[in-house]
Order: sequence, then C-alpha cells, then structure tokens
Amino acid sequence: MDAIVSKYTRPVAGPLEGLRSGGERKSAFDFELPSIDRPAAFLRAHTDDATNPDARIKIQHGTTTLSFKFQGGIVVAVDSRATAGNWVASQSVKKVLEINPYLLGTMAGGAADCQYWERWLGSQCRLHELRNKERITVSAASKILANVMYHYKGAGLSMGTMICGYSKQDKPEIFYVDSDGSRVPGHLFCVGSGQTFAYGVLDQGYRWDLSVDEALALGKRAILAATHRDAYSGGSVNLYHIKSEGWVYHGNYDVGTEIWKVKEEEGSFNDIRT
Amino acid sequence: MPIEHSFNPYGDSSGGSTLAIAGKDFAILAGDTRHSTGYSIDSRNESQIHSVGDGLLVSPNGFSADARAFVDDVHNDIIWYHHKHNKKLAISSCARSIMHTLYRRRFFPYYVSPILVGIEPDGTGAVYSFDPVGSYEREASRAAGHASELLVPFLDNQVRKANQVDPETGKPLAQHDLDLETALQLVKDAFAGAAERRIQVGDWLEIAVVTKDGHKVERYPLRRD
Amino acid sequence: MDILIGLQTANEVILVTSRAISRGVSVLKHDDNKVVKLNSYTAMAYSGEPGDVSNFAEYIQANVALYGLRHGIEMTPNSVAAFTRSELARSLRTRKPYQVNLLIGGFHPREAKPMLAWVDYLGSKVDLPYAAHGYAAYYITATLDRYWKKGLTLEQGLKLAAQCVSELQTRMPIDFKGCDVHIVGKSGIQSADLPPIVVAPGVANKPSEATLASA
Repeated sequence: MDAIVSKYTRPVAGPLEGLRSGGERKSAFDFELPSIDRPAAFLRAHTDDATNPDARIKIQHGTTTLSFKFQGGIVVAVDSRATAGNWVASQSVKKVLEINPYLLGTMAGGAADCQYWERWLGSQCRLHELRNKERITVSAASKILANVMYHYKGAGLSMGTMICGYSKQDKPEIFYVDSDGSRVPGHLFCVGSGQTFAYGVLDQGYRWDLSVDEALALGKRAILAATHRDAYSGGSVNLYHIKSEGWVYHGNYDVGTEIWKVKEEEGSFNDIRT
Repeated sequence: MPIEHSFNPYGDSSGGSTLAIAGKDFAILAGDTRHSTGYSIDSRNESQIHSVGDGLLVSPNGFSADARAFVDDVHNDIIWYHHKHNKKLAISSCARSIMHTLYRRRFFPYYVSPILVGIEPDGTGAVYSFDPVGSYEREASRAAGHASELLVPFLDNQVRKANQVDPETGKPLAQHDLDLETALQLVKDAFAGAAERRIQVGDWLEIAVVTKDGHKVERYPLRRD
Repeated sequence: MDILIGLQTANEVILVTSRAISRGVSVLKHDDNKVVKLNSYTAMAYSGEPGDVSNFAEYIQANVALYGLRHGIEMTPNSVAAFTRSELARSLRTRKPYQVNLLIGGFHPREAKPMLAWVDYLGSKVDLPYAAHGYAAYYITATLDRYWKKGLTLEQGLKLAAQCVSELQTRMPIDFKGCDVHIVGKSGIQSADLPPIVVAPGVANKPSEATLASA
C-alpha cells in the first residue's frame, strides 16, 4: 500500500516552483520534447511538407546561396525568398547571417535552424575571443557548428550553410556545414534548391583573377540565374564581399528589375521574348 | 481492421486573421474576433490581440491551445525580465526572446505564426513576424492566420507599393511611411474584404494602435455570416 | 539519368546525347546512340523507360517513313513533332503509356530555318531556342540562359554545347561516358565531334595554397 501511495504522490510545489522562469533555459540545448517513443518521426509527420503535404506546420524553406574565393577575397551572394509549401512567405529574408564583423554564415534549409544556431555560433565565437584574446578561426567556428549538427543528427534539423571568413594567416576560407554533420572546406559552393542553376553560371564564368567588381557581378548573376529557373528562389539578391579586414555589404538588388537590366546588357535570357 | 495510434496534439480551432502595419511613430495590430473549429463558429468575441506589457502587443495566429500557451510564455518572460533587470524590455529584445521561446520547442513546435508589434527605442513603429519555430524578421507589414493569403498581397501593393507605377512618370512608386489615417483605412478595407471571402473571418474587427504613450483598441463591426 | 540537350544556331540544330546505358550498378554500353534519324531533315533524341524508348523511336521512325513513301513527300519537322506529340498523348490514355522524353531537331529546307521541339512523356510540346531533359536541365538551362544568343554560328554553337557538357562532367555525380553530337542543317543530319571538353573553370581554377596565402 505504501509503495503504491508513494508511487502516485508528488511533493507539493512551492509558490514559484514549477513556474518556468521567463525565457530562461539551462542552455541553448535545453529542448522541450513530446513524451513519445520517436520524437523525430512525430516532427516529420507534422512539419515536413516535402514528404507529407498534409503536414500543417509549415516551416520556411527554399533558397539559393553561393560563395567563392577569388583573388580579391570572398564573394557571398544569396536570394531572399522564403516559402512554406507553395506559399511565398517572404521576399525579404536576410539569408546572410552576420556572425561577427569577420564571419558570415549563409542560410539554406530551415530558416529558424540557421538563424538560431548561427546566432548561437556568434556568441560562442565571442566567448572564444574573450577566453583566448584572439579571433576564432573560420575552421574552428565551422567545427563548433558542425559538432552541434552532428549531435542532433537524425533529430530533424535542416540546415545547409557556408561559414566564410579569413583565417589567422590572412587566407580566405569557406566551410560548407550541413545538418547531416558534414563539414567540407572548399573554394566555391552553391547551396539550396537552386544550387544547380547557380553552379551552371558560376562554374562557367569563374576565374581566380576576377576583379572585385567582376566577382560581385558574377555572384549576383548566378543567383539571378537561379531565381529565374528555380521557383523556390526569388525576391532579391543580397551581396557581400569579404576582405581580410572584414566583410562589406554590397547592396540589395530586386530580381524583378535586375533581370531586365542584365538581359539588356548581356543579350542573355533569350528564353524571354519581349 | 488495423488500429493506428499516433500522437496528434494539434487541433484546428483557431482565430481568424491578424494584420500589422508599422508607421513612422506608430504601429497597428488588427484582428477579427471570430473563433472557429472547422465549419463551426465557437465564439464571435475572442480577441486575438494580447498586450504582454511594456507597450508590446502580440498576436499568436494558429491553433488556439498552443496560441494561449505561447502568449502566456511571452507574458511570463516579460514579467521575469522586469523582476531580474528592473527595466523595460525593448521590442528587438522581446523578438529575440520569442525566438528562443519558439525554438525551445523545435522538436515539439507550437502551431503558431506570431506577430509582435510595438515601438522601437528610436521612436519608430515596428512589426516583427515569426515562423512556428522561431525564425523572424522585422517588416513594414505582415498578415497571418486564415486570410493571410488574401491580406499579404494587398499589403504588398498598398504598403510596400509593389507593382505600382506613378501614372505621370511611369516610374515605380517608392515605399514611404503611411500616415495613421491612411493605414487605419487600409486595415478596415483589408478586413472587410477578408470577411467577404474567408469563412473563418468576421464578426468584429479590433484595431490596436500603439504609440510611445501606449496602445488604444477600437472595435468595428464586420460581417456576421 | 541520360542527358539530352538541344540548341538552335542560326542555320542548324545541335543535339547532344550521353553515350552510357546503365542498368542497376553496371554500365552496359559506353557508345550508345540516343538519336534516330526520322527523315532527311528531322532527328529525334530520346530518353526514359528502358524498352519503351527504343520501341517508341522505331514506331515513330517507321510511321514517318511510311508517310514519306505514301505521299512521295516528306513530313516537315514541325509535322513530325506534332505527330510524335500526339502519339504520346494518345499513348498516355492507354493501359501502358510510353514513358519517353524527346527532343526533336529539324531543319525546314524551304524556309531554310532550324527548329527544336521539347516533348515530354505527358504529351507536352514546346518549341524552344534551347532545351534539355532530365537532371542535365537543372545545370545547363542556367548556362544556356546566360550564353545562348540568337544567330550563333555552328562553331559557336558547338563550343557552347561543349561548355554545357563540361559543366555536367564537372558537377553530375555519375559518369555518362561522354556525349554524341548530331547536327541537323541544310545538308541533312550529320554527326560531329565536340570541341575538347575541359573541366569547368569553377573547379579547374581551384586556387593553390600559395595563391591563397598571397590573396
């Protein structure tokens, strides 16, 4: 009898006990989980509209992002469309996340996953600076993020990002990191649903000795190509240039007007009849 | 006959729609007061606009049970912030806090698409919109809920001036801040239209106007059918 | 996934097709030809369900030939494309539809004009200046959007085709064993060679550690 009573008795809560202190979590890793066997399957059933169109919680998706190294540093270019199913949820998303004045991260896949973990990465990078009195390397920063992604592998996160910046030896560095836990260094990447279209332009127009203006134009042009052919990409292009002194923003270009300018200047986009 | 068991904590009871516009020194959050489940109208008088303190208004937009839990979370967060820091929570900080509230449930999401409205410390009106798991953005305007697909294109055209040209010059119109009167008229027109074409929208329109001095709510009738 | 690319030049149509036939984990053939000659001025590139493709190609080829024999005059490329499309549309409403995607390239000898039609297994037909089927389309439509111009010379067209193949060879995860080229122009249908295929500049120009250090 005592055993049964104790099994079903809980201590009485104090006045504030059980009340979660506002916004305060033990850590960035303190997540609420549904009390069921397989939370990942639950999440997929309710939020993954790619495999299950009936999923009602539509998480924002879809993107084209790119970055590449060249003689003058690194160019980062992205589109600005967010889609939830077939609904264009936004045409003004900032898909370049300014981790700190020296590091940029790009956003493809789940918008919240990228925003949350790259902001978190920003705070980790700052802590590294305070602890070690020097800037974190791109390599180390991307590894921190990749480790977290590997920790949550299979849980249902969705992220494809490029962490871009300069190393201590003043070398440009780009690391591709995704929610599978991959971390790949490289000199040129396109990520997102429109990646193939961006590659099709970027690969063919690329040279190491591109001038800064040429490189920015090529990055912008490759995103434009992707917005033209990939329905999940669009809105406008955001352009960044990273030099050893840090990144510089090079503006926002509305795809709706930019395409006509480019078509006229290059004599390209001949599938569009005017 | 096999019996399938699956855990589904999400229902379809919800409010109608809400809409927000940011101005130079004001912000508007408006919503209808109909509450429905499927084809049944549960209430004609359920406000979707929640004051969470510090001159901030929130509309949760989504499954009611989650919506209520979410608003309570946000409200609590602000109360605790006051206890700990003894100062006002800035709207940008509140937005970040909401991101954490939503992302904390990344693997068990609240079925909501919230909008946060208030005044920035620099005096400008602000609208922040969120997806169910916390990604967010500051915008000039946003609509959510059942009529969002009707309201958003209207706002794009009238607030952002998308696809509008000056009839004199033929040049695209530039976006500029709306004055309060124009913005209010826009909101009323938008909801009149939404109530015509969406069964979940109707009954009463509540419009909250936030300024640096706090907020005021006014009510206007909408279609009851 | 097989590659079909078509592009018009001022006086010709160029059809580019991959050479590999793969089944499961093996490549069965390294020198397959995925283009059939339908009449003097019309060629058809095909891909899709194994079995369906060759059967359908032969069926169309025979019927177009029959038309020529019966009437003593060949079908125009446009008529061939329209006929082929309608055959696919008809087949779609049967128990076992042909699952075949096509590019039909032709040249009008009288009007001295090339034509290119994109046709899919559902019976859609679009006349386009440049087109592709399958995964290849995801890469090279953007490349063609960028570089294709009206009134290309044959030499420029072949160079552009080579550029497309270089992109595919660089980025596609499977080896398609190179490509065949067919040209449809005023002198009929001829096969040709592409200019040398190089690795796409985006990958070929990978900076060395030394260059990076000086950047």
